[in-house]
Amino acid sequence: MKDKLQQIIDKAESELNSITTKPELLNAKSRIIGKKSELNSLMKNIKDVAPEDRREFGQLINEAKDYLQQLIDSRTQIIDELIYNEQVASSRIDLTMPGRRTVQGGLHPLTQIWREVEDTFLSMGFEIADGFDVEDEFHNFDALNTPKDHPSRNLADTFYVEDNILLRTQTSTVQIRTMENYQPPIRIIAPGRCYRNDKMDASHSPVFHQVEALVVDENISFADLKDTLNIFVQTMFGQNIKSRIRPHFFPFTEPSAEIDISCVSCGGSGCRICKNSGWLEMGGAGMVDPAVLESVGIDSEKYTGYAFGLGIDRITMLKYNIPDMRILFENDLRFLKQYR
Amino acid sequence: MKISYKWLKDYVNLDVDPKILEDHLTFAGIEVEAIEHIGEDLKQFIVAEVLSAQKIEGSDHLQVCMVNDGGEEPVQVVCGAPNCRTGLKVAFAPVGSIIGGEFKIKKAKLKGYASHGMICSAKELGISEDHDGIMELDTKASIGQDLASYLDFNDIVYDVEITPNRPDLLGIIGVARDLSALYHKELHLPQAKEWNTYDDVNDSLKLEIQNQDKCSRYLATVIKNVEVKESPDWLKKRLIAVELRPINNIVDITNFILMETGHPIHAFDYDKLAGKKIIVRDAFENESFPALNGEVYKLSQDDLVIADGDKAIGLAGVMGGANSEITLNTQNIVIESACFNYATVRRTSQRHKLFSDSSYRFERGLSSETPVFTKDRAIDLILDLAGGQLQQGSLDVYPNPDLAKIEVELRPARVELLLGAHIPLVEIKSYLKALGLELITESSEKIKYKIPHFRGDLLREIDLIEEIVRLHGYNNIPVKTSPQGIMNHKHFRLERKIKDLMVTAGLYEVINLTLFDPDNLNKLRLSEDDFRRRLVELKNPQSNVLRAMRTTLITNLLNCTEYNINRGNKDVRIFELNKIILNNSDKTTEERKSLTALLSGNRFDNYWKDKSTKCDFYDVKGIVEDLFTEVNLTISYTPSQEKFYTENHSLDIICKKLKIGSFGQIDPKIAKSFNIDTVELKQDVYILDIDLTQILEIMDFSKRDFQEINKFPNVYRDISFNVNSDIKVSDIISTIEVVNKAVVKNVSLMDEYKGKNIPKGKRSLMFSLTLNSENKTLTDKFTEQLMQKVIQSLEKNYNIEMR
Ligand SMILES: [Zn+2]
Repeated sequence: MKDKLQQIIDKAESELNSITTKPELLNAKSRIIGKKSELNSLMKNIKDVAPEDRREFGQLINEAKDYLQQLIDSRTQIIDELIYNEQVASSRIDLTMPGRRTVQGGLHPLTQIWREVEDTFLSMGFEIADGFDVEDEFHNFDALNTPKDHPSRNLADTFYVEDNILLRTQTSTVQIRTMENYQPPIRIIAPGRCYRNDKMDASHSPVFHQVEALVVDENISFADLKDTLNIFVQTMFGQNIKSRIRPHFFPFTEPSAEIDISCVSCGGSGCRICKNSGWLEMGGAGMVDPAVLESVGIDSEKYTGYAFGLGIDRITMLKYNIPDMRILFENDLRFLKQYR
Repeated sequence: MKISYKWLKDYVNLDVDPKILEDHLTFAGIEVEAIEHIGEDLKQFIVAEVLSAQKIEGSDHLQVCMVNDGGEEPVQVVCGAPNCRTGLKVAFAPVGSIIGGEFKIKKAKLKGYASHGMICSAKELGISEDHDGIMELDTKASIGQDLASYLDFNDIVYDVEITPNRPDLLGIIGVARDLSALYHKELHLPQAKEWNTYDDVNDSLKLEIQNQDKCSRYLATVIKNVEVKESPDWLKKRLIAVELRPINNIVDITNFILMETGHPIHAFDYDKLAGKKIIVRDAFENESFPALNGEVYKLSQDDLVIADGDKAIGLAGVMGGANSEITLNTQNIVIESACFNYATVRRTSQRHKLFSDSSYRFERGLSSETPVFTKDRAIDLILDLAGGQLQQGSLDVYPNPDLAKIEVELRPARVELLLGAHIPLVEIKSYLKALGLELITESSEKIKYKIPHFRGDLLREIDLIEEIVRLHGYNNIPVKTSPQGIMNHKHFRLERKIKDLMVTAGLYEVINLTLFDPDNLNKLRLSEDDFRRRLVELKNPQSNVLRAMRTTLITNLLNCTEYNINRGNKDVRIFELNKIILNNSDKTTEERKSLTALLSGNRFDNYWKDKSTKCDFYDVKGIVEDLFTEVNLTISYTPSQEKFYTENHSLDIICKKLKIGSFGQIDPKIAKSFNIDTVELKQDVYILDIDLTQILEIMDFSKRDFQEINKFPNVYRDISFNVNSDIKVSDIISTIEVVNKAVVKNVSLMDEYKGKNIPKGKRSLMFSLTLNSENKTLTDKFTEQLMQKVIQSLEKNYNIEMR
């Protein structure tokens, strides 16, 4: 009996060792411990065994069966490992081939900066106001305290549609339109398009973009203006960038100032971009002239305000290192893709 | 906490409607979570008279009674109460009434006798603990009256949320004090009466506090020869209103004082105190304490107990002991008015999971001064309602009385600075005075106040300012006007959203000058009366090509395309969202926002795994579909009237009967006039042009419907067939949908095939149907039948051949 079992086990061992696939293994399993296996038929013979030996007989067969099951299990593991190794080896890929990019376009760099400007001011509690591109002389000049004979009213500088209708030369028109319609407190920015009769070149365009800020309330001071400018400049260009204002003249503000920021390229030590001055001109600012407030019916004793205007195209060129303004309006896809 | 409207009126003369008071409480910082109308359920019960009561044979207690409830006929009721007798006025629950909120009275039969209702005991009605028999009403009670009005049970109870910083509001007086400040009305506090006293209390009792950190004050008063009995109606009503069950006069008085002052007191049976002494001490480890609730607790050394000469008789601030409980046999009592450390009470309460009205209050931190008031109040009420002899004096151990004295300075200018509103000084002083603050010194800059002992939360100037604005009313602080309403948020958001959508669709934004050459309009074959001919022209143009404001973005995009193709960028997918400016007949100008997109060349940048494909009509159509899903507008299409598109390759977009845009293939001849040779390039040019201003006018930003997510799984079925090429897919889809609109949730085109194996003039189409029913899982049988109906309908309408 024991010999017979040993025989079965030896045979099964050698059979299993040569198996390398799952289906073969299944077949072998049924041959070795299945219903029609030699082992099973041995078990059926138990009734021929003497009653006092039956217990031992059964035990031996079960031990053999357990051992065979273990053999099959370990073979299963070996085959699984073989399959896995094969799978990994055959699926090797060239990791240097390019990845699949999502199909995405991009916003124009001007729009990206435009949004950044809007978001910066929105976070400071400003509202965004809209204006007209085609304006009348009143809103573009008269209400902004610009004398009738002021040179900026010349045909050489301003596009006219009719005698008193023109393309706005500055977003300051929105100051007037807002104050005509709303009482202080007023806290707005007005980004938009402006037009001046300039030939297109590296730093000029007949169509350009500005953002105007206007704050009118009680107790608004020059110090508030400086604060807002500082926060804006540092948000846009970084904490290291300083801003300064120096005296200037605009008809609609008094005192008036021009805004400079420390050169974003050299940090102030002087370079080609800042023409070695260390400073870059960003726009104009000032306290709203009492005459402007009165022209829209706001009590200039009770209320004061500040306003400033900055060039969005200029900010974009500085932030994105774009050397020539014309590139912005050529819309070459190779340029647009750089900034997506 | 529950606050009774009637009870409040004992202390402050309220003349506001209870409903309005709810608002006022909430806006004074006492948030009302629910309102309950007391007596509402007693309205179902009726005053009735027992006309006859006869013992039922074979039952030792049941009687069959005839009852007059004021109705036309007497009602027969079986009653088990021994005190039920002829002539008695009783509380009758008719059939259909509900007792205790859940037990509904039904017609019943007992021992063969029909019973139409129930005669109730006071306990069954939730009025008292008295369960000895049915409630005996006054002989003069009028039959048929509802019980609520007979008992005068009508009160409004507010269930309020008290914030943790205001333990003083955990009693009715505290709330009344706030209301008195709010309404500038006087607060009427009960005044202590003069009573005769008997022997010195020191002869009866000894008091010792061993742990003064955990017990800041203990006042013990002894009253002898009290009569423990049921409380009078007014007292029971007060307790019932705030959901406390009346027990006996002494216990009811302690509960009443707890609710009234927010400061718990306790009464011990004097005769059960071993050694006639009270010791406040730490519990022994594993000391066992039988509490009033019937449980026995194993204490820890961290617990504080009230003990007599040999055992714990109370768990300090949490619960009294069963071994010293007041019973109907009690003759002499000790009243405890004390203050325990909030942390000790909280830890004990948590440790033993034992929460009581008392622990709830002590663990919020109570004043050591209040016990004097609660003691006086207890003496008054007990002598009044239970009689007895007050022993002279009280035992009072109060080690650190100075801790309760706090002074705070207020700068009126600071109030204005912080609140942004001017509140007159008289008003400020009136509020603080009403809250119990005592003005000590006053100068023009600052006022110094002594804080009342029950307001331990007022420690700093800012705490006083909060009280001032709370009573002044947050709503009465003017809104500081800030700039608003100027910005058009709707336009702002939509523009950003749409630009982002175009970018996601793979398009690059371009920005062109607003000035253009209007000769380009001729190239677009615009008719003379086309709106885009309404030019705003410059008087002094810089050049001919920049002489008018553009009235369309299409010419700019075509120019951009030419520019890019000339520079080798053949795959052009671009859009612009910008103004167009039109001349009105009255010489004014109109500025509108336009969205224009252009697709030409490869759909994607070439990728090594994919075959490159060219943009076509359906790419543009897909963008249109995305766009209008995004703005939540339903659109339809009609063949385009625009002349610059190739015939049959373009659609106008219609929404709410308005044309709001168009899209399609640019006529190759027109493309060529813009120097784009589509034949040579082997790529067509597709344009999408939408009037954004119009979308803004018609779209509804506020609405977005929620659709229930179906809990039954979708079933998918595909169907494919040959059909004449001139049959439109949109018609086929709607034909399929009408077969069963409730179940066919979606029909999508999966494939179109023409050519090999398909007869000429026909095409093969494959559709996928998504089926679902909101209320059941669809069976295979149902699905099969549905698909058969779909096929039949398509065969009938379009003569399809199934594949
Ligand atoms: Zn520089």
